[in-house]
Amino acid sequence: MSTLKTTRRMAMGLVAAATATFGLQANAGGHGIDLTGKTVEWIIPFSETGGSAKWANFYAPLLSEALPGQPTVVVKFMPGAGSTKGANYFHEQEYDDGTLIFGSSGSTQFPFLLGDPRVKFDYADWNVVLASGTGGVAYLPPELAAKMDGLDASGLKDTDFIYGNQGATRLDLVPTLAWEMLGLNVESVMGIKGRGDGRLMFERGEANIDYQTSSSYLSGVTPLVEAGTAVPMMTWGALSDAGDIVRDPTFPEIPTFKEVCEATDGCETSGEKWDAWKAFFIAGFPAQKMVFLPRGATADAMVTYTAAFEAVKARADFAEISGKRLGKYPQMTGAAAEAAKASGTNVSPDAKAFIVNWLQEKYGVSLN
Amino acid sequence: MEALPAFGEAWALILQPVVLGYLVLGVLMGLCIGVFPGLGGIAGLSLLLPFMFGMDPILGLALMIGMVAVVPTSDTFASVLMGIPGSSASQATVLDGFPMAQKGKAARALSAAFASSLFGGLVGASFLTVFILVARPIVLEFRTPELLMITIFGLSMVGILAGRVAIKGIVAAGLGMLIGTIGEGASSGDLRMSSYDFPYLVDGLKLVIVGLGIFAIPEIITLLRNDRAISQEAQIGGGWIAGIKDWFANIWLSVRCSIIGVIVGVIPGLGGSVVDWIAYGHTVQTSKDKSNFGKGDVRGVIGPESSNNAKEGGGLVPTLLFGIPGSGSMAIFIGAIALLGSGQIEVGPAMLKNNLDITYAIVWLLALANVVGTVLCIAASGGIAKLTTIRFVLLAPFLFMIISFAAFQSGQNLMDLVALFAIGFLGILMRRFDWSRPAFLIGFVLSNPAETYANQAIQIAQSRFRKGFVEGIDYIFSPIVLVLLAITLVSVVLGLRQAKHILAEGDSKSGSKRAPMVFLLCDHSFHWLCII
Repeated sequence: MSTLKTTRRMAMGLVAAATATFGLQANAGGHGIDLTGKTVEWIIPFSETGGSAKWANFYAPLLSEALPGQPTVVVKFMPGAGSTKGANYFHEQEYDDGTLIFGSSGSTQFPFLLGDPRVKFDYADWNVVLASGTGGVAYLPPELAAKMDGLDASGLKDTDFIYGNQGATRLDLVPTLAWEMLGLNVESVMGIKGRGDGRLMFERGEANIDYQTSSSYLSGVTPLVEAGTAVPMMTWGALSDAGDIVRDPTFPEIPTFKEVCEATDGCETSGEKWDAWKAFFIAGFPAQKMVFLPRGATADAMVTYTAAFEAVKARADFAEISGKRLGKYPQMTGAAAEAAKASGTNVSPDAKAFIVNWLQEKYGVSLN
Repeated sequence: MEALPAFGEAWALILQPVVLGYLVLGVLMGLCIGVFPGLGGIAGLSLLLPFMFGMDPILGLALMIGMVAVVPTSDTFASVLMGIPGSSASQATVLDGFPMAQKGKAARALSAAFASSLFGGLVGASFLTVFILVARPIVLEFRTPELLMITIFGLSMVGILAGRVAIKGIVAAGLGMLIGTIGEGASSGDLRMSSYDFPYLVDGLKLVIVGLGIFAIPEIITLLRNDRAISQEAQIGGGWIAGIKDWFANIWLSVRCSIIGVIVGVIPGLGGSVVDWIAYGHTVQTSKDKSNFGKGDVRGVIGPESSNNAKEGGGLVPTLLFGIPGSGSMAIFIGAIALLGSGQIEVGPAMLKNNLDITYAIVWLLALANVVGTVLCIAASGGIAKLTTIRFVLLAPFLFMIISFAAFQSGQNLMDLVALFAIGFLGILMRRFDWSRPAFLIGFVLSNPAETYANQAIQIAQSRFRKGFVEGIDYIFSPIVLVLLAITLVSVVLGLRQAKHILAEGDSKSGSKRAPMVFLLCDHSFHWLCII
């Protein structure tokens, strides 16, 4: 009996010593944290099949190489309730040893911005280490595209459009608001499961207007354009450093919504509608995906992860491997990431009120 | 035509020892996962995904395909030997496979199932080789009304599986449909039978949990009550060759069901979990002597097993040609291809033009994996079949653990286990009072597609009707829809007439009238509450 007691005491002592070593190691130096022998868990609040999964699966092995100590980086999927389940879970985690990170997407930002009742998290608590942008391209069937007079979309005003919509409060609110601002009569068929289904509806002739995010456009729509069954209409654009909307670097030859709006009667690039659109556009596209460290993350941890992502960006082959997977968008770290996070998770109360009201009037959706 | 040289190149890619080695490795891993009920390919594939980075494309593909391909073969073990559906594609096999095992004919059922699985996989691959070239335009003809019609056709299978009293079966399917609506509505985002304060139900119930709960738990409980081994005979019987001969005697049935499997798998958005019910329904309707179905007719094993392997091959079409996953494991497959190809291999419309050899390689790797998988399964089945001779009381805790693990592993949510046992309780009551559980499951699986497609078809049709009456009618009643409508009507009429003979619930003893009446009242009040 006493041998058992001694053994137990020894074991407890060893455990205590080991914990102390880990604790010491984490705070030692102040030059960043060392993750040797550890496993970093990257929580993605979406399913294994979506765009966020592709983004995380692209970065995970590269991050593993770049972090000090080369820890294994494992992507953990936690889908549910439109990504609010995973986000709420992450909200409850405190920074521990730098082995937990979180990836959010536009679909996490929108419920937060709109005041969805399921949201129990606050972006202000989290620390961003990477912000990845993306873009979107709207396209039309050739016979309708021909009705456009250069950049002027007025010729499309008497056409009945059908669009496959994933949900009123999802990312689709950016295209649908844009089309409404252009004066187009777009009827949304609600409830499709993914943008891929929307593209399929377009190919089948059931939908006659659609948009895709950049990587899906490159793989799924470019062959259609080459075959002559689709014509690009406009991109949502990209954000310059000064905060202006400029041409999308992945599609420099396609005009932006801003240009088309300026050329079309009845569409204004200033005022309440435009501000609201721009705010949600930024949240949904240039600052679409962000990587966060949990609440209470130390400065060391931030430095370590920021340096790691910068190392990934600095790889000689980065442009090549990321070109097709992510598109040619800025992958922002440090101050640029902070700026992106700020613009992507804050909208003015006026813009928010406008959108909430618009959703109520157009779709009968109330967010209470 | 460019197809033949691509075909040759594909074989040159496949027939290398390294590639075949990876294929066998994938099959072995898939076998380990597939033997346990409820896990399925998606668990294994998501575990493999992080390791795929940097692998040579063909090797990585061989590994993944090995895993995916063997699951519809190895899920037969649980279905036949324990009456627990091994995966969502193997539910119908339970109806006749398990009674065969109970009569001591487990070996015969298994060998018939494996032969059918192998054949189904090969037929699927051959059909695909030709079909994939013309697939795109054909698949694009299946618009929302056609998809809705196929869903309704699937629902009509309920007629056959309705059990002794047809109306009970239809009510069971209705109950399944209602339970399938729990959660966030697809089009409007409003909540049904759930609230944001209780987030678990907002996403709805998962198929794995409902399938295991409604089939597996009642079977385990019943066997525990009988307190014997699964097989009432002393040994498993020596019917290996007999099983293969059975399959050969019904080879045309196997061919038809394989084709059904491929076609259902090809059409994106249907969800392959109904394919085995459609095949089972077809088997019953086209047989002259129906008296043995539900009691251990080997044809009830051959049909579904041929179709579920062929469906895997069919599921490749939307995955590779459209980039739209045909099922959950196909979705991970797409992600892995993106990792492997590092940009050169892009699934989608360009796949045929740029990567036809890789496409064929995938199709035939799938066929090869089926062969390897069947051989390994046959080798392993001797040992696994002996499980049926163990006293069930010893086996039951282990089975409960596996089922709970399968339910828990996808979301790591404790509520999953609660849901499992709640559904299990419902399943026990349904079994006891002879309400058709297959009908329930069909209703559950098809409720979401039926609602979504109906909703979308109505919206699109409304805008077409506004343009002109003829245009609207043209859209809804296209030739494919009319053909499917005819098939559905025939199947419903025949099904209801023959339902009396198919004991979907087996021989369940019913005692007094009071308990069944209470259950009936509960069920009806639930329906009324939902309507209100």
